[in-house]
Amino acid sequence: MGVTILHQFPVENRTGPAVIELLTKRIAALGAVQHGQFLVDCETYSSVPQLGHQRTVHVLHNSEQPATVFSLLETGTKTIPLATDGLFDLLMMKMSSFYTSKKQTKAESKGPRFEIGDFCVKLGTVTVSSNFKGILVEVEYRPCIVPQMCWELMKEFLQGFLGSSVLSNPPVYFQNKMNDVYTPIDTIHQYLEHFTIFRKSPAGIRT
Amino acid sequence: MERDIEQLNSALNSVKVLRSNVRRIFDSVSNGLRADHGDDGKENKFITELQEILTTVNTNLRDVEGSVANLTTPGGPFSLGNTTYLSQETTLERQALYGQLVNSYKWTDKIREYSALAGNILAANSFNKSYKTFSTTKRRKTQTSNHNVSPEVIENIITNVDRLFPDITLTTSRPFVANPLIQASLGRVLRGHIAFKGLMIEWVVVKAHGESTDIWTESRYKVFRKVTENCHAAMCHFHSPMMPELAVRSFMHWFHSYQNLFSVPCKRCGNHLHNNLPPTWRDLRTLEPYHEECK
Ligand SMILES: [Zn+2]
Repeated sequence: MGVTILHQFPVENRTGPAVIELLTKRIAALGAVQHGQFLVDCETYSSVPQLGHQRTVHVLHNSEQPATVFSLLETGTKTIPLATDGLFDLLMMKMSSFYTSKKQTKAESKGPRFEIGDFCVKLGTVTVSSNFKGILVEVEYRPCIVPQMCWELMKEFLQGFLGSSVLSNPPVYFQNKMNDVYTPIDTIHQYLEHFTIFRKSPAGIRT
Repeated sequence: MERDIEQLNSALNSVKVLRSNVRRIFDSVSNGLRADHGDDGKENKFITELQEILTTVNTNLRDVEGSVANLTTPGGPFSLGNTTYLSQETTLERQALYGQLVNSYKWTDKIREYSALAGNILAANSFNKSYKTFSTTKRRKTQTSNHNVSPEVIENIITNVDRLFPDITLTTSRPFVANPLIQASLGRVLRGHIAFKGLMIEWVVVKAHGESTDIWTESRYKVFRKVTENCHAAMCHFHSPMMPELAVRSFMHWFHSYQNLFSVPCKRCGNHLHNNLPPTWRDLRTLEPYHEECK
């Protein structure tokens, strides 16, 4: 598991498939080979009023860690991450009387997965309850586990095929974590941050 | 000496030629008249043939005399040293010792000759493009066997290296008593698996932190496979049979420069990536980072 950066690629006035096609062409021209598909999905549950102070649980799956269910519990003051095995999904179903899923919030990002050198690139089409919302490009540099060490290198790679839409500073998520060891839960956090913004964006497309 | 042997060889050769021609005379005489002499004047033909061979033999004889005259007589009897006593050996199974002794002498001689040649060739084509100089006194002092040393000596060197580079963490295991296997974790960048043969670095594999510690499989990451390759080059470069400890220290010093593997751009082209790889080469002297293609 290496450092992963999630980047939102501006759609402007193109369609989702057109952007994916454009990016696929670019990454293939650099020598990337497609290795299957990927999927990251997120469902959000809220505690019922009887439980008192409202808490929110986000449950996410990442096809890169197929045997793991990630969940993030928001208590209002802090966020508690949890990585469990597949049984957690069943547990959530059992608790449906305490935690109910908000309607129309199932978010997912899916699309082709590429490998190029030691990089892994995923071109995700984001939908929130089946409505197209935008494009998320995930780039993982697998040999390196500390963001501080490889940020410049990853920026160069990202700019190489995404152009000027890449910011010159690390994503906000990394602000206090540049020297920490990167773990899969960090990827989950990044997806959740993007999904939350996508859900709030009006009229579908976020630009 | 060289010339003597040459002359002796040519003398022996002419004796050989003489003997074979003399044999032809006896052949011819014993066979007498043969069918291939034909019918007309067969006696004359036979005599001519005989005369020809005799002339050849004469020439050969002169050659032998000539080459023998060229030979220098050895001064006095050969001194065989202590080996003379071997001829007085009476036990049957030890009588063959002299032959074996001569053979091993010949081998030693050949080894000396070949190693001298190899030494010359290696000195002329040094793969060691280094800046090291040895003073003769120092050399004599440290000239010890370096693949058969006591574990304490190696232990000392490893401890020294460990102290020298605070950001390299060393873990030692000893699957074979005298030959330790060390795992050198370089910060959070990479982990090198270094196998020693005595004081010599014999094998290096570089892998990511999470990968297996087995030294025979390579890393699943291209960047570490490249670094492994370069470590092999550096291992040969720094190898020094005369000063094994210095070799280990120089190698570790060079290895240490990989701490910025992912974070520094190439010194030549200024980019981080080339062929999707960071600068995987470190200059052996300046330790500056370069891409494989830029060095
Ligand atoms: Zn370069």
